[in-house]
Amino acid sequence: MTNPVLRMRGIQKRFGPVKALDGVDFTLAQGEIHALLGTNGAGKSTLVKIISGLYQKDDGTIEIAGQEVEIASPADAMAKGIAAVQQHPELIDDLTGVENIFFGHEGANPGLFRRIRTNDMRKRAQDLLKRFPIDIDLDRPVAEMGAVDREIVAVLQALTGDHIRVLILDEPTSTLTEREKASLYQLMRALKEGGISIIYITHRLEEVFEIADRLTVFRGGRNVVSMSSTEARDGATSLVEHLLGEAPGDLYPALADTPPGEVLLDVQHLTAQGAFRDITLQARRGEILGVYGLVGSGLDELSKALFGTFDVDSGRVTFKGREGLFASPTEALKAGIFLVPGDRRTEGLAMSDDVVFNTVLANLGRASRPGGLMRWARPRRATAELAERLALQPPILSKRAREFSGGNQQKIVIAKGLYAQADLYIFVEPTVGVDIGAKAKLYAVMRELAAEAAVIVMSSDGDEVHGLADRLIGLYRGAVVYDAPNGPGARDRLLASGMMGKLAA
Amino acid sequence: MTQLSLRNPLTIRIAAFVALVVLVAVIFHATAPNFLSMTNITAIFRHMSASGVAALGLTFVIVVSRFDLSFPGIASFGAMTMGMLIVLGYPLWLAIFLAVAAGTVLGLINGVAIGYFNLPDIVTTIAVGSVALGLSFLYSGGMTLSDNFMMSGILDVNDAKILGISGPVFIMVMLYLAAGIVLHASRFGRGLYATGENAVSAHYSGIRVKALMAFAFVMCGALACWAAVMLSAQSGRSDVTAGNGFLMPAYASVFLGAALFGRPSAPATFAGALLISIILNGCTLLAIPYYYSDAIISAILITAIAIFDPRIVAALRRVFAGRGTPRHSKEA
Repeated sequence: MTNPVLRMRGIQKRFGPVKALDGVDFTLAQGEIHALLGTNGAGKSTLVKIISGLYQKDDGTIEIAGQEVEIASPADAMAKGIAAVQQHPELIDDLTGVENIFFGHEGANPGLFRRIRTNDMRKRAQDLLKRFPIDIDLDRPVAEMGAVDREIVAVLQALTGDHIRVLILDEPTSTLTEREKASLYQLMRALKEGGISIIYITHRLEEVFEIADRLTVFRGGRNVVSMSSTEARDGATSLVEHLLGEAPGDLYPALADTPPGEVLLDVQHLTAQGAFRDITLQARRGEILGVYGLVGSGLDELSKALFGTFDVDSGRVTFKGREGLFASPTEALKAGIFLVPGDRRTEGLAMSDDVVFNTVLANLGRASRPGGLMRWARPRRATAELAERLALQPPILSKRAREFSGGNQQKIVIAKGLYAQADLYIFVEPTVGVDIGAKAKLYAVMRELAAEAAVIVMSSDGDEVHGLADRLIGLYRGAVVYDAPNGPGARDRLLASGMMGKLAA
Repeated sequence: MTQLSLRNPLTIRIAAFVALVVLVAVIFHATAPNFLSMTNITAIFRHMSASGVAALGLTFVIVVSRFDLSFPGIASFGAMTMGMLIVLGYPLWLAIFLAVAAGTVLGLINGVAIGYFNLPDIVTTIAVGSVALGLSFLYSGGMTLSDNFMMSGILDVNDAKILGISGPVFIMVMLYLAAGIVLHASRFGRGLYATGENAVSAHYSGIRVKALMAFAFVMCGALACWAAVMLSAQSGRSDVTAGNGFLMPAYASVFLGAALFGRPSAPATFAGALLISIILNGCTLLAIPYYYSDAIISAILITAIAIFDPRIVAALRRVFAGRGTPRHSKEA
């Protein structure tokens, strides 16, 4: 056997107290498609960032074609033959595919105006397509291209350096349809024929069986197992076990011990073309409903549809006995729905304003007199109480939102929700960028909320959904594929449903 | 927003403003002894009243993070509308009412186009402002209107004394008080600030972002016409150029005030307008030609923005902290 293209041994990487990678070994052979699997935070992205020069390893060795190397920066990685395609490639919409591919190194004529040699560029693009035969019209502006063609342009852009031997693809299929996926696979096979090795990150197991030669499973910062995909297919269940590992412990509050109350929100067969279809769910007072779904599962769109900012095509929604979707957040809030949006910086907070301003914003009626004049002391007192209840750190109400840490910013959004006194709280990705101590507090607050109101938690963190919720729903590509009460064995089935669209055996 | 204390940044800013006014006054007083006379101080306030009202209107638009370049054109149209009605012998109150109504309608056009149809603010307001200016030529073909002005009573608005304060100054102060209550003590104002800070999060908080944005442009248009009425009362005539003088002072007042006090607000705009009037008045006393005034205002504006910009302050602090103890270089 010849030297592998890339061999990594004993890779260590810490971020403060967190060990992101703990002695990872990884080997990539010439011309193979190697899938990296693992749940959020398992370490696969960190490893890939080390390979592509974005992060520096703390310890361990990297060999490229048998030579020990250090990868200092993304440019250095490129020089050593490693190219990465981002999850959302940045292309310039108004330029054509060809122009995007050679952007920055078009090759220009000498002279005052340095006209770009368009024909030369086009010829180079044809050469590239000759090396990697794939069906695409590169003369169209990127703006007119579908998701897969954009992905192909991004890949070709990464491959303009002739010496590239390793290509990293980070969840390229998350937004692709089945047909589009086929053309991406066609490209990947063409690259493989051309002798390029591909590291392929995905959440979806069935894709691995379809396209990958080998796979490595990550869990808790370690590589748990590597095998060929044929081996994996023969023993699929053991692979799922490797992937899931053990559920984390006492981060989560106890589940509800009383039976849930009345149905507040009843969603029947809700469909929005291209986002989700045939969604049926109920949110009850006294219960946390957990919805688990990955990027592209329709989770975000569903939350927005319920809050009046996303249009649906068909279906029936009843909230507190009133039928019909809300036309705007103003109406949804008035009826008693509060959304804790997934992106608190752009959707949740006025970052330059203080805690009191943000807290009362969603219920200005409560913070003002009947004539519309703002009250002074009461909102302040209420905010101070909420800050104490949520353990806001530091508890300084005149501080601007942007001066708080991620977890405390989220607490401000929740304080806003509490001040709004809603009957249904929808949390979208509630703990992204939140440290573990603040997480536990947020979970406890959500459980507390559920005593009085209905709570829906929507998250791409399966453990979070399973740890919190009394009832579990798995969303896969816009459809409900799992719906059951939480209980023994539910975690594996939930995670498998969200990742693969079907239940683990 | 919070109680006054020496550690409160707002207290420091107010102190800085007062110090600035005193400094400017001392400098002018040293060179032009009549600068601090009662007559001259009254003149300063009278001078700031019309453009101060225009600046107040602009404040609403700046609070929602938009720009309005139409208000000078709208003001001209308001001035000519009132002038024409006075010439035709209509009662003064009706003339003033219709002038302000014209500004309201034009502001509403801005607001609907920008708030509801998401048209770009700068281009839209330039267009609406040009249309308004064009319309102002319709009444008289661009001729100055002054017939009937003496008898209509408009001049009394300028000469009146209310509670010992001259008419235009009283009107300005009242408008600032009303606007201050709307902006800083009502839920409406909260919504305006939330919209300007982050329209998406405001929308998600149930704020009627589109309506508030339209409202801001309505205020700007209506107050521009109020300012034009006050200017006509001062000069005793209506000109198609009435609004020309508002653009630069209004922007300078709003941004100078915002730079001084940290964000746009009614008191901030008042402070900005006052400071600008003081400086222009001082320049007049020193016989600096009037055509330098826009240049002087612009220079002050840019300096003020640069000095009070938090990024520049932070950068300066880093430079100075680098020489002293490095402990201070990290600001929370």
